[in-house]
Amino acid sequence: MFFEKYKDKKDGVIRGYDIRSPKTKVIAVIIMLICILMVCICLFPAVWVFLASFKDIKEFTREVSILPEAFEWSRMAETWNAFKFTTYYKNSLIHVAGAMICAVVFNGLLAYGLGVLKPKGHKIALGLVMWSLLIPSIISIVPLFRNINNLGLSKSFIPLWFVYGANAFYVMLFKQFFEEIPKELTEAAKLDGCGVWRMFVSIMLPLSKPIIMVVAIFAVTAAWSDFLLPYLVLQQAKWPDNTTMETVMVKLFSFKDTPTDAVSVLRASFFAIIPPTIIFIIFQKQITDGAASGAVKG
Amino acid sequence: MKAAKVKKEKFRKRDLMGWLVMLPTLILFAFFVWEPLIENIRLSFCTTKMYEVTGFAGLKNYIAVVNDVDFMAAFKNTFAYTFWSLIIGFLVPIIMGILISETVRGKSLFRVGVYFPNIMPSLATIWIWSYFFLPGETGVLNIILGWFGIEPQVWLNNPKWTIPLIIITLTWKSAGSTALIYMANISGISPDLYEAATIDGASIMQRIRHITIPSITGIAKTMLIMQIISVFQILYEPMIFKNGGPNNASISLMMLMYRYGYRDYNVAKASALSVIVSLILIVLSGIYMKATAKRNDE
Repeated sequence: MFFEKYKDKKDGVIRGYDIRSPKTKVIAVIIMLICILMVCICLFPAVWVFLASFKDIKEFTREVSILPEAFEWSRMAETWNAFKFTTYYKNSLIHVAGAMICAVVFNGLLAYGLGVLKPKGHKIALGLVMWSLLIPSIISIVPLFRNINNLGLSKSFIPLWFVYGANAFYVMLFKQFFEEIPKELTEAAKLDGCGVWRMFVSIMLPLSKPIIMVVAIFAVTAAWSDFLLPYLVLQQAKWPDNTTMETVMVKLFSFKDTPTDAVSVLRASFFAIIPPTIIFIIFQKQITDGAASGAVKG
Repeated sequence: MKAAKVKKEKFRKRDLMGWLVMLPTLILFAFFVWEPLIENIRLSFCTTKMYEVTGFAGLKNYIAVVNDVDFMAAFKNTFAYTFWSLIIGFLVPIIMGILISETVRGKSLFRVGVYFPNIMPSLATIWIWSYFFLPGETGVLNIILGWFGIEPQVWLNNPKWTIPLIIITLTWKSAGSTALIYMANISGISPDLYEAATIDGASIMQRIRHITIPSITGIAKTMLIMQIISVFQILYEPMIFKNGGPNNASISLMMLMYRYGYRDYNVAKASALSVIVSLILIVLSGIYMKATAKRNDE
């Protein structure tokens, strides 16, 4: 049963015919167990923070245990309300939605230019984008924040949205996808006198749904987790109705400077990992496939 | 003759359209990525007060950075970070990729499971890990060690352990996505190679050594350089775990830049440091580009 399936194995070192020897059977079982252990290690911190969030501070600091004594949801609700997490969630949602739109529209357009239209001299732009793939944006965070300040864009979501429109990694994902669209389609459209825009809307867009999905999902999880620029830009920013503009991550970051009890930090961390976890569960296939394919070519 | 001219003009119009499509995104890249990098260089040669430029400083900022005891600590730590990240961060994904490729049952579950840490917001995971590493018998790792009868450890408080432990948390987060890339490459290896090797009497270990490993060397080189580049981005882990301590044992170059910029409000000094880091990264990126270009030619 367990070993039967090895007969149809298409890739990897252990071949279907190897599995007949008992030694290989043992190896196969050991590999299986190691893989299960790896997945446990990968999931454990998330499971633990869920369990630990049910402890109160006394239990957390005194009891030598992983499991909480009781699962009381009211404790969770208490922290949620005490920190006004609804507001932070709302702000994060605004941040994420704008970032997603910018990521798809702007990077998609640039990739359309670089991968399909290829106007004269596009190689220069391509080279610059390739280099920016390797220089982490965090390096120039100080002058960037200074520029944002000088333009009067601090304390608003605008720079936080548009920064996602300039992401070399997303451009490369789009470009690789566009280049795999058969040339005949675009050439035929060109001969029919199809303009640059019409070609984009009626040929590229309908074919690009999978890659749009992948970039959108990546942008959503990245924007949700993003915090250094949001922290610098949104610090003490207020909506007109005097509620804070800070996002969930900015709140989490602020625990660094304000002494907070361990259990509250853990509950806040738990609240912060819920949305990406749900997205991951729904789109796991798109995410893992995108992650594997996007970087195969480097 | 006339027809050729018309064609040429049309061609120009297409070029113009192509650049127009790319322009909005290129402006975003210029504002968020390229201009700040250049601005960094300019600011590093100036004297500043808060965000205002007050005069020309020559090389004074660079001299101040290099003579800073914190810089020497951070510079030395970078080597330690690189060393551990090559031992742990580079090898673990390769082993994971090879092992998961050998499973037949539950393969997609393993893929998804090991990728999961990647979508968790890094800030939340850093908080969670900081409680894992609590010294004393209520720390999570000490509870687990206790099951095996091992004494509680001090974890991050031991300066010799701080950097390796930080690398472990980083590897926990990123290894899954790198493993997926290796898996994509491993599944592309032709089964004929393994079959021919088996006929020649190669054992499973020999097949891994002489077929699997050579086939992934190309991508492994790329990943190696990516791994080294990522070391220069380490910021939040040392900052939140121990604020660079104990006693500067884990301070990183990026963390020092953050301190210059947002604790001391010395923009010029922060810029000088980031120019130094940028230069190192540009050299590393150059090596990376060469490695990838070679791989694509093959």
